[in-house]
Amino acid sequence: MATEDVVRNTVTRITRKDISQFARTTTFKDLEADSLDIVQILVALEDHFDIEIVDEELEGVTNMGEFIDYIDRKVTEKTARRA
Amino acid sequence: MLEGKVALVTGGSRGIGRAIALELANEGADIIINYLRHRTAAQNTAEEIRQKGRQAHIIRANVGEPEKIESMFAEIADKFGHLDILVNNAASGVARKAMDLDERGWAWTMDINARAFLLCAQRAVRLMEGRGGKIVAISSLGSRLVMPVYTAVGVSKAALEALTRYLAIELAPQGITVNAIAAAAVQTEALNVYKLNEKLPKTWQTTPAGRMVQPEDIAKLVAFLCRDESFMIRGQTIIIDGGFSIAPLIT
Repeated sequence: MATEDVVRNTVTRITRKDISQFARTTTFKDLEADSLDIVQILVALEDHFDIEIVDEELEGVTNMGEFIDYIDRKVTEKTARRA
Repeated sequence: MLEGKVALVTGGSRGIGRAIALELANEGADIIINYLRHRTAAQNTAEEIRQKGRQAHIIRANVGEPEKIESMFAEIADKFGHLDILVNNAASGVARKAMDLDERGWAWTMDINARAFLLCAQRAVRLMEGRGGKIVAISSLGSRLVMPVYTAVGVSKAALEALTRYLAIELAPQGITVNAIAAAAVQTEALNVYKLNEKLPKTWQTTPAGRMVQPEDIAKLVAFLCRDESFMIRGQTIIIDGGFSIAPLIT
């Protein structure tokens, strides 16, 4: 499954929202995600991709599109390190 | 004084857990660092321990999930074969008033802060069989004092302290001591995460002792509770707060 699909599925599963509400411009606020939702999303994605998500690096992330790009970058970096 | 001992510190990558891991290594123990989210911090702490000439091993596991606890202890059994010290330090929690708490936030907090202590202790004791051991749980003054939006964590810490007493008596015949440490606000990054720095009253920030509790203060007390000198201390929750809790209006 592509990184974007994993992120979309994870976010909608944990926030208990319909996946149709998820667009690249959607924000965590739009999804009414609370701090526990966000922690659980980060843990789930770290588990799935075996990556480390650095909280400070997410400070500039404003919507789901940027969040997907960040996760994709982390997965690419991990793959490159292991190659 | 802890040469040759093997210690597991849950939540050992940063803050209080990191200080505990380093202090136990200073005393000669080999350290297993459990962490959940901060791999680089865990790796850095492990490297610091190795520089002290001790073994260090890191394990990622969410102690809020029983199956992750199971696999963590399976890995410990496989790598070390036994365990001498369990420091139950990992903690999390939702910051909400009681009326705003939902079932999910309550379960998340209780699972990580209270249930994990029971499950980790059960599995740790199997690895301590025939050799005795030390178990130390990290609590908080929020178990007995009311603090803003600390409901779930405070209640979970009260459960942890009660469990400490029950475990201490049940495990005494096996040569295992069990105690807890309850600190006032500790100067760690967690304060910033919860924005507690802004909310803490001045009395909490200073304490009669003249400063806030530092992670190293707790670490030294943990080390003492892991040494045989503390053999007769059983099931106690030792408060470390610079005198705050007995004189909240005096600084």
